[in-house]
Amino acid sequence: MPSIHSLPDVLISQIAAGEVVERPASVLKELLENSLDAGATDIQVQLAEGGVRLIRVADDGGGMDREDLPLSLLRHATSKIASLEDLERVVSLGFRGEALASIASVARVSIASRRPEAAHAWKIEARDGTLAPAALAAGTVVEVGDLYYNTPARRKFLKSEATEFGHCDEVFRRIALARPGVRFQLQHNGKLIHRLAAADPERRIGDVMGEDFSAQARRVEASAGSLAIFGFAALPAHARASRDSQYCYVNGRFVRDKLLSHALREAYRDVLHGSHHPAYVLFVELDPAGVDVNVHPAKTEVRFRDARSIHQFVFHAVQRALASPLGAGQGTAAYPVPDHGADVGGAGFIRSDGPKPAPVSPWHRQEQVRLDVEQRVPAYVDFVRAAADSRPDIFEAPELAAGAPAPRATEAGGSGAPFLGYALGQLHGVYVLAQNDAGLVLVDMHAAHERILYEKLKNAADGGEPASQKMLIPALLAVSATEMALALEHGADLQRLGFEVAAAGPLELMVRAVPVLAAGARVPDLIRALLDDFRNFGASDVLSAHRNELLATVACHGAVRAHRVLSLPEMNALLREMEVTERADQCNHGRPTWTQLTMSDLDKLFLRGK
Amino acid sequence: MLLLKVPKNDILAPLQSVSGVVEKRHTLPILSNVLIEKRGETLTFLATDIELQITTHANGSEGGEDVAVTVGARKLQDILRALPDGTEVSLILDDKRMQVRGGKSRFSLQTLPAADYPRMAPAKTDASFTLSQGHFKALLGLVQYSMAQQDIRYYLNGLLLVVMGRELRAVATDGHRLAFGSTELQQDMPHSEVILPRKTVIELSRLLADSDEPLEVVLAGNQAVFRFGNIELVTKLIDGKFPDYERVIPKGHDKTITLGRVAFLQALQRAAILTSEKHRGVRVVLSAGSLKIISNNAEQEEAQDELEVPYQGDALDIGFNVGYLVDVLNNVSSDDIECHLHDSNSSALITVPGNATFRYVVMPMRI
Repeated sequence: MPSIHSLPDVLISQIAAGEVVERPASVLKELLENSLDAGATDIQVQLAEGGVRLIRVADDGGGMDREDLPLSLLRHATSKIASLEDLERVVSLGFRGEALASIASVARVSIASRRPEAAHAWKIEARDGTLAPAALAAGTVVEVGDLYYNTPARRKFLKSEATEFGHCDEVFRRIALARPGVRFQLQHNGKLIHRLAAADPERRIGDVMGEDFSAQARRVEASAGSLAIFGFAALPAHARASRDSQYCYVNGRFVRDKLLSHALREAYRDVLHGSHHPAYVLFVELDPAGVDVNVHPAKTEVRFRDARSIHQFVFHAVQRALASPLGAGQGTAAYPVPDHGADVGGAGFIRSDGPKPAPVSPWHRQEQVRLDVEQRVPAYVDFVRAAADSRPDIFEAPELAAGAPAPRATEAGGSGAPFLGYALGQLHGVYVLAQNDAGLVLVDMHAAHERILYEKLKNAADGGEPASQKMLIPALLAVSATEMALALEHGADLQRLGFEVAAAGPLELMVRAVPVLAAGARVPDLIRALLDDFRNFGASDVLSAHRNELLATVACHGAVRAHRVLSLPEMNALLREMEVTERADQCNHGRPTWTQLTMSDLDKLFLRGK
Repeated sequence: MLLLKVPKNDILAPLQSVSGVVEKRHTLPILSNVLIEKRGETLTFLATDIELQITTHANGSEGGEDVAVTVGARKLQDILRALPDGTEVSLILDDKRMQVRGGKSRFSLQTLPAADYPRMAPAKTDASFTLSQGHFKALLGLVQYSMAQQDIRYYLNGLLLVVMGRELRAVATDGHRLAFGSTELQQDMPHSEVILPRKTVIELSRLLADSDEPLEVVLAGNQAVFRFGNIELVTKLIDGKFPDYERVIPKGHDKTITLGRVAFLQALQRAAILTSEKHRGVRVVLSAGSLKIISNNAEQEEAQDELEVPYQGDALDIGFNVGYLVDVLNNVSSDDIECHLHDSNSSALITVPGNATFRYVVMPMRI
């Protein structure tokens, strides 16, 4: 029988390393967080062989004294917190004081550091603790080499160099996104991968996520009390097939939180195609006392004190951002168009069939055709500029021709040319063709109409308590002890949703009334789903989700079908409705309702201007 | 060999009586077939969905050896229906095929062996009684619309039959409303209760005639057998505990109003136009001398209808699912109905002056 003995320090660190140092990327994360906690404004990262052979992080932060260097490598030694009170209001990224020790136990680590006021830098080798003077400007350089050199078992779990570098790159991006004010640079095997200048948050998001993302995203901005959220959420039409591109930060710390991702999924639910995942970069700020980050060593999980209000806050902020109608100006133009396009359209459309669609008559058709031809000509930017100057009589409001920088502004700015333009005709009874400032707009009329009806039905159904049908024979429902407690605790919430629930036994619920909307559903399944949401998120959307499903079916059946011939006034009316309808970009099933072919897209098709 | 040679209707009629049981889609192919069995001069048709089995007979079979075969019920029925009336039809069995001949038309259908056809084993008789077909059909009609449909409380997806003394009771409920009716029996019976499955009830209503011809009901273990005309219907029973219907039928409701059935029904149907598709709530507002029916839909459109009633009690405002009220008014036949109410949280009881035993209970809706 083995006797009990305490473990050697190195072994303890190696055990801890199992949790913290999963792969090179986790080392990089710890080092970058240390640099940021030290107040660095310029961080340079060099990797070799995916970070396995070398991770070198150099910063211009506060640095360390000669005396601190040996301490920094000890387990549970940190400058970041000193008491339990500090732990409860952690503002630094790290605080556990075990990262460097853990890393040093599985890799060859050296640290060189210099405080600004010190005469020169000192360098410590973690292996034997030897200190030597070194040359360095103010800041710290940490070098981690030969990761897992002493734990071959672990080494076997490392993936290819490209994969490990990919993970490092992901960590780098996560951190760079959170700290726009800090200059970052990343090199791999001597090649420069990223160079990010200090910038404002919006600019940094564009730099890291790519211009594509910025162009397709809507700004999310809201605050309530000590809660605030800022960021960008990509429009559903640009959702991805995988979960990458989901960046969520709580007080500057990247998290993968169940609560937040649930809130975001809910916000996207109505508009996202089933198999797709949304893309977003969101920063949630709240009082540090309201969130516990000490849940897991890697700190990507957090616990919120008031989970329910945070869930609702994030959900509403993102949903609102996604919902705003096409016409409403957003921080970013969802469909950027070349400036000349705006000019051309702005001028051309006021003339075409005007804000009041004329009745369809042979005469009208004829005029329309003639105008179409005329409108093509001004597609040449210079020409139309000249035309605008020389023939102001054609344009009812010539000053507007130049005053419409982006089509979204037209609705708000009132320049007269609607965002989706005016209908030209119908293609095979399925698509509506329209021309707007930017060029050609194609609308799937069934999908668009479906969304319009759906939003109307939802608005009509919202508000007021839901009707509730009492049961003559109450339904009994076997539940677990947790579910029973939740049901009793949330009795008032359930009643507000139209349920009447009481305990019929220690593990049995009696349902005395159900909401009328749930009539077709399996009541026990619905109640379990509700209780599950109450437990996890403090609130539930299950019922309105169920209701919306019903409404979506009604909307689908009520919407115009393909092959229904629409007149021009009808098509224009559809376009105008789309502009003021929330979430009109997608049909109820997440498919896009319209798309834009800009003049330059069309020019490319014909190799024009090449 | 020739099974039968008769005018088309002599074979179509029995086939139609049994084919209602055959489900359109099956995982077990033989269940879409009907069993045709020749024994002496009699031809027997039998169809089943395993829960429910209907047998009927046709005469006029040719002599020869006894034989049995199964063939697609729907196809055979469609063929017979499409032949001109009065055509002499012959069914001829050769090897694995069955030929249908009528006039100059020829059809050859594939068959499956009769030995594979599932048949219900007869169970030991516990009790049996006889009443007129018309009475039983009327009793089903009074209550069957209240049965649940695909409820997870499986015992509600059917109709409770209670035999006690000289009384036969029928009860159906979907958990929100309940209908109760009863009829007299000729003989004294020991107490027993069975739940007939929904499909059995619907088939029975379809097959029973409005006549005084006798219907024999046999309760046998987990089966019930109904014999009438030349039809025998065997059904499995729902094994479950039906809710205590007597407890939910309210007694002592203090507000009673008598209403013309048709006038009330029409007022409700008018008000129903402006209820939302999914939420069919109407408010019934009772005050001295008047009963108002008010409905709103999601677009805030409103309907209001008013009936004059000889009522002098307290005012009451109560909501109902209009469908539940329309159902009962459509399925009873008297000129007047009586409505008994208590308060806006309690159930409403509807009775019919001409039928002392009928009771309909419906729970209100919070609108």
